[in-house]
Amino acid sequence: MLELYHGEPNIFSLKPLVVLQEKGLDYTGHYVGPLDFDALPAAVKAVMEVRHNPEGDGPVLVHRDVAMTESFFIALYLDDAFADVPLRPRDASGRWRVLMWGRFVNEVLAPSVTTLGCHKHLAPLLKTRNRDEIAQRIEAMPTEERREAWRAALDDTYSADLIADSRRKIGLAIKKVEDALAAGDWLAGPAYSLVDIDVFALLAPVPALAPDLLDGTTAPRTSAWLARVRERPAVVAALAKSRTGAPQESFVPGPEHSRWG
Amino acid sequence: MLTLYHWEPNANSGKPMLALMEKGVKFDSHYLDLLNFDQHSPDYLKINPNGTIPALVHDDLMLTESTAIMEYVDAAFPGPSLTPEDPVERWRMRWWMRFFDQYFAPSLSMIGWQVFVGPSVRDRDPELLKAAIERIPLKERRIAWSKAIYNTFSPEELAESRRRVAVGTLCLEEALSERPWIAGPTYSLGDINGFNLGYALPLAQPLLCNDEKTPHIMKWLRAIYARPAAKATWTMGRTQMAQRITFLES
Ligand SMILES: N[C@@H](CCC(=O)N[C@@H](CS)C(=O)NCC(=O)O)C(=O)O
Repeated sequence: MLELYHGEPNIFSLKPLVVLQEKGLDYTGHYVGPLDFDALPAAVKAVMEVRHNPEGDGPVLVHRDVAMTESFFIALYLDDAFADVPLRPRDASGRWRVLMWGRFVNEVLAPSVTTLGCHKHLAPLLKTRNRDEIAQRIEAMPTEERREAWRAALDDTYSADLIADSRRKIGLAIKKVEDALAAGDWLAGPAYSLVDIDVFALLAPVPALAPDLLDGTTAPRTSAWLARVRERPAVVAALAKSRTGAPQESFVPGPEHSRWG
Repeated sequence: MLTLYHWEPNANSGKPMLALMEKGVKFDSHYLDLLNFDQHSPDYLKINPNGTIPALVHDDLMLTESTAIMEYVDAAFPGPSLTPEDPVERWRMRWWMRFFDQYFAPSLSMIGWQVFVGPSVRDRDPELLKAAIERIPLKERRIAWSKAIYNTFSPEELAESRRRVAVGTLCLEEALSERPWIAGPTYSLGDINGFNLGYALPLAQPLLCNDEKTPHIMKWLRAIYARPAAKATWTMGRTQMAQRITFLES
């Protein structure tokens, strides 16, 4: 049986939700709100790949008794394990392109979008809660990286430089998407693929977070493509899992910005 | 036509080298001396405008990103498969390659650039060094070279990198105590990746990584170096850096 622990259909959680729908797979979903710190069963929490999840509080897929994290790799897993509805090119160069997009998304786009999202949405949400209680929760998190990331949200210490650099990186990503879409409707070749799902999950909240960077005038092809992806029945079904009605305002800290590289 | 542009069998360059060797794929090796800034020469920038290594040229395709190159090599060429059949093992292989590439390696690399790369080039003509830095295409790499050459790493960032190397070493030891290879029962690209990152750990971090504290890492490193492909790859090195690997024979 497939089980998915996921948050609002946004960012990392949106990817496996869409892939499961695209493939028509039966699964049991467990909804985890942004401040549900006790949602994962202890046995899942104890797994190294969960403790050191580079996406921090991203989705967890449990299948064949294995708890898997990292939304893009979960998507690849589902595509490897349930190949009837393929969501990737089959040839080696097409697959290399998929991996290159995945790396770009997780290294450049994901930290930047989650920085803006946490600054705009998570930090104010945390201010409405009991600070000591949240601080205690943070100290109980499994890694120093997660504690740091949540402390930044609790104290809203996102510097002007970090915000500016995040916006710069989002701009790079939009440019890359605009360029790719000059060749056709989808990002990784003639067919819709995991790359469209991966990039959509991260860019969908950007028109609201940084309207000057992404609208019909500044990035016409990207805007049209966002609309195209959003119309897919699988994406509509995944977005319908929202409980707040505003999935694109739900953020928890994402992966770190690279420190060296 | 298949040409690999690489430096020493080490870190990112060594990953596609060892993957190609394991599969027995013949390739043209084009060695670039990283410490001589060969990777920023106009000729190489025509091939890879980012000025980073490794790069693999296969007919009219130019491929970058060492880990993605390895997956390409494994999918495009015949020879023993280096990707497990089981999708769970594949997931685990990819998870660990990300952990190596984006958590462990950057911290280990920062320390390596401070203790080795910087001192290796710092004494050259300051004007030449300044010009060499200005020629670097990627902002991130310009910052790295400038920090290494002028030794402007902050104590905090170095301490943080050392902390992460210690965490990464413990995670790796824990994983290898549960299974023989990083993805499970099968030797894979994940082991090739991890070996390039970690083969010198016992020399560079003797207090963290040794037969008493990390017996599973030690056993794993020796098992990989015992493979003929690894031996053949490390003989392609031209410097002391590659030669020190022989300690794994003992
Ligand atoms: N993520 C890339 C990184 C490539 C990279 O930055 N390589 C380093 C050497 S390990 C490099 O090219 N350095 C050259 C320079 O900084 O001038 C990969 O894995 O291939």
